[in-house]
This record gives sequence, C-alpha cells and structure tokens, in this order.
Amino acid sequence: MSNSHKAKIAKTIISTILITLLALLFLFPLVWMIASSMKSESAIYHDLSSYRAFLPAFDINQWGKAYSSLLARFNVFIYILNSLFYGLSVTAGSVIVNSLAGYGFSKFRFKGRRFLFGLLLAMLVIPGETIIIQKFQIARGLGMLNTPFAVIVPALAGPFNIYMFKNFFDAISNDIIESAQLEGAGMFRIYWQIMLPMAKPAVATVGTLSFIGSWNDYIWPLMVLTDSSKFPLQVAITNINNSQPVYMNQVMAILTISTIPLILVYIFFQKYLVQGMGASGTGEK
Amino acid sequence: MHRNSLTRSSQAWLYIFPALLILTLFLFIPALMSIYYSFTNFNMLSPQTRVFNGLTNYITLLKDPIFGRSLRNIGQFVIFIMPLQVGTALGLALIVNKKRAGNTFFKISFFAPVVVSLAVTSVLWLYILNPEQGLLNGVLSHFGISAQPFLTSPKQAMFAIIGISTWQGAGYQMLIFLAGLQNIPTDVYEAAELDGANAWERFIHITLPMLKPTSVMILTTTFIDAFKLIIQPMVMTQGGPMNSTITPVYYIYRTGFTDRQLGYASAMSVIYGAAIIIFTIVQRRITGDDNNVK
Repeated sequence: MSNSHKAKIAKTIISTILITLLALLFLFPLVWMIASSMKSESAIYHDLSSYRAFLPAFDINQWGKAYSSLLARFNVFIYILNSLFYGLSVTAGSVIVNSLAGYGFSKFRFKGRRFLFGLLLAMLVIPGETIIIQKFQIARGLGMLNTPFAVIVPALAGPFNIYMFKNFFDAISNDIIESAQLEGAGMFRIYWQIMLPMAKPAVATVGTLSFIGSWNDYIWPLMVLTDSSKFPLQVAITNINNSQPVYMNQVMAILTISTIPLILVYIFFQKYLVQGMGASGTGEK
Repeated sequence: MHRNSLTRSSQAWLYIFPALLILTLFLFIPALMSIYYSFTNFNMLSPQTRVFNGLTNYITLLKDPIFGRSLRNIGQFVIFIMPLQVGTALGLALIVNKKRAGNTFFKISFFAPVVVSLAVTSVLWLYILNPEQGLLNGVLSHFGISAQPFLTSPKQAMFAIIGISTWQGAGYQMLIFLAGLQNIPTDVYEAAELDGANAWERFIHITLPMLKPTSVMILTTTFIDAFKLIIQPMVMTQGGPMNSTITPVYYIYRTGFTDRQLGYASAMSVIYGAAIIIFTIVQRRITGDDNNVK
C-alpha cells in the first residue's frame, strides 16, 4: 500500500516537472523579451547562452535606460495614443453600428429583410484578406487615405457581430417592446434604454473582440497610413525595427510596451473571449 | 397586436443602413471589383491604359511559378499546423483540466503568447531565431546542437513559421477545448471507472467522442484561418529565402499593392478567394452552422 502511495507521489512530482518545463517553453520568449528590454545592448549579446539571458540587468539603474533612449528617439506616446484612439473608436463604433443592425433585423419586419439577412450571411464567407487591395482602392476613392477614418470606418461593421447581436435580441421577448410602446417610447428609445442594456454580454464580447482586433491590426493601417505620426503601435514596431541604427534592447522595449495594454484587456475581459470564439479567432492570420 | 409592433416598419432601414453601407463599401464592392479587374490589364502605374484582356490573367496565373510555389507553401503550412497546433491545444487543455498544484500558473503560461500580437510575435522571433546572435541557438548550444539557420534556410523557414504560429495560437484553442472538457459530466467518468476502464480507455471512449463538436469547430476554423497566413512571412522573411515562405495572400498583396498590378492580383484574389469560400461552405455543412442560422 505504501509502495503504491510512494509511486503516486513520484508520478506527481515527475509530471509536475515535465509540465513546468512545458510552461517554460511557452514563457521563455516573453521572459527574454522583457528581460532584454531591461539591460544594455552589449549585455543582451553577452548573456545569450547563459541563464542570465532571462534576467534583467543586475544594476537597477539600467532597467529603464532602453525605454528612455527609445522615447528620446521615437515619439512612442503618439503611437500609444493613436492605438488607443483607433481601438476605442472601433470598439464604441462597432458596438453601436452592429447592435443597431442586429436590432433592425431582429425587431422589425420589412420588405427585403430575408434577402438582406441572407446577403449578410453570405458576406460571412468572403475572406477579407484576399480583397484587401480592392478595399484599398475604395478607401482611396473616398479620399480616406492617410486619415484616421481609413483605419476606423471599415472595422465598424462585421457580419458575425451583427449576427451575434441579432441572436441576442431575438431572445428578448417582444412583450417588453410592446409594454414600452404603450408607455409612449419610440423604437430608438427602446433600443437605447432597454435593448442595449439587456444585451450587455453581447456588447462586452463584441467590444472586447473589436478592441483586440483593432489593436493588433497590422497590414491595413500599414497600407492606408503614410505619416508616421498617425501610425498605431503595431506599424510603429516594424518601423522602429527598420530604422537604423537598430538597438535590440529598444526593440524589445517597444514590443513590451505594445503588449502591456492587451495583457490588461485579457485580464479584465477574459470571460467574454470564449463566447466570441466563433468569430475567427485563431492566431494564423 | 403581437405582430403589430414588428410589422409596420420601413424605419428598420435606418437601423441597418450604417452597417449595410460599410459592408457594401468595404467587403461587397471590393469582392465584385476583384472579379471585374481580373479580366483587365489594370496597372496602377498606368491606369489610363486599362483594357479588357479576357482570360489573359488567368492563363498567366496558371504558368506563374511563384503562385504555384505559394500554393505549395500554404499546403505545407496547413498540413503541419493542423495536427501540431490542434494536438498541442488538446494536450494543454487536458493538462490544465486536471486539479493539480500550480494549475493557474500553467494555464496563464500556455495562454500568454496569445496576448502577443502577430506583428510583435514576428519581430520577437526574428531575434530569437537569428542564426548568429539569436537566443535559440544560444540555448541549443548547451544541448550540443550546432547553430541552425532557421529563417535563413529554404528548408527550415516554413517549419520555423509553423512552430512560431503554434506557439502563438495553441493557448487560445486550449481555452476552447477546456470549455468543452468542463461540459462533460463527471458522473460519466465515475461510472466508467467503476466499470474498470483505465485512464486511456476513458480518454478514447468518453473524452474524445464528447469533445467531437468542439474539435470539429476548432479543426475547421484553424483550417480556414491557416489559408490566410501573411503577417509572419511578411515581417520575418518577406517570402524568402528563395520564395520558400511566400503565401498566396502575401503574393496577392505584393503583386497588387507593392507592384501595382491590380488586374493580375485580382485574378489571384478571385481564384484563391473562391477556394476559401468553397472550403468555408463545406465547413458550414460539416459543423451544421447553417441550421442555427435561421
């Protein structure tokens, strides 16, 4: 009996060690990224093949140096503000635009409704990535190039998000609308004061996914923006990585800076992410 | 009365209009444009000389070795990423699903790369995989493994991208698998245990069948998304070395945007876009998405 007990303990210890090694496999690039942003350029190269690669400089005074040199060379605050501005505009805008459409499809009966909704579902299968250059032609034709509108407006409507809001509104009883109407509320007031607050989980999911999508967007802003003062962080990163002279510790600093806001988003909004997983979600794109 | 509140409304259009306008402008019209342009010699550098040229672009495309290469590359990516990433995700979910000390730490570790954007991932791994002064060769040297060329080798570059993409994406699918695992009622396992089923039998006969809907969903979305690979090769290898990592979406971008050959790029958009649409429709059939749509 005690032998099998011992075997069990040994098994637990071994499996915990193996799983810890696996966890380190996933963590080591990020630990190295942060550690390298907190030491001098020469120390990064010096530490490469020792465990110290994963530790910041021993001298605390070194920790902020790459960051301050980075801030002196590039206007990182502008990039952060740009990313926040694009991200928050897309978040608020897509919640409103998509929920309005979902409400329209869910709580109104009108001519062409079935056709339009069918069209919407058909648009779900169009791979936007393959027609990005034609989309660029449209943005150019509308005079949007090199303006925030080009980054924000195309991201405001998504077939999947409309579909999600419609499903949510479908589940809300029409009796609520009728009793509100009896009290003299118009359809817009019903949307704004009753429906949208009741659809909070959908709002949170669409909002969170929109923010992450906008924050991580790389190719589209790279195409439509030419002034570096309008770049979001993702584009600025590759810009900084290509601006001579390239210092590895400064690159690691900008990588770290542009990741921190997303860590916060994932911590606070994680429960809404699995709900929206059908949206597309995997990391390939 | 019940239908009344819903019937009378052409004002519905006001609610739908903003979304409809944006989708029409930035999704529907571009899709139609790609079809139209694909039959022209449209070049952005000389837009005035645009004429219809029939199937010329499509015929050129058939003989374009780079397009052929990009299809082969994406085929390689899809074939390897599917079992690797989905298998890893399932394995991680099974690990994290067990009650054990440090579970929260493990879960956060596996999920951490998901938080990192693809642009950041690509730049970061560019440094990790640097053949002369990269971290990975530094680590490998301790295990007696000689320095590898990674992204600078036509043989290794795509495999490096496959590995990096797995690292970045598996944690997200782990979460979805985990949600599926936690939906399996525990009494089924208890009953099987009483019947003398060992852990492996329980996994094969209970866990896997019960996870089928989740697995099908993850496999199909991974499959479709894998075909859209662009950021990693664009940032890390620019499609090289020797076109070994060029992908169709990236080639479309380069031809249409960098080289300004919009007509030719549009023919690729049409062919490749149609292929993805067909895959997506087949996926819908398999997962039964069509049924809960109405």
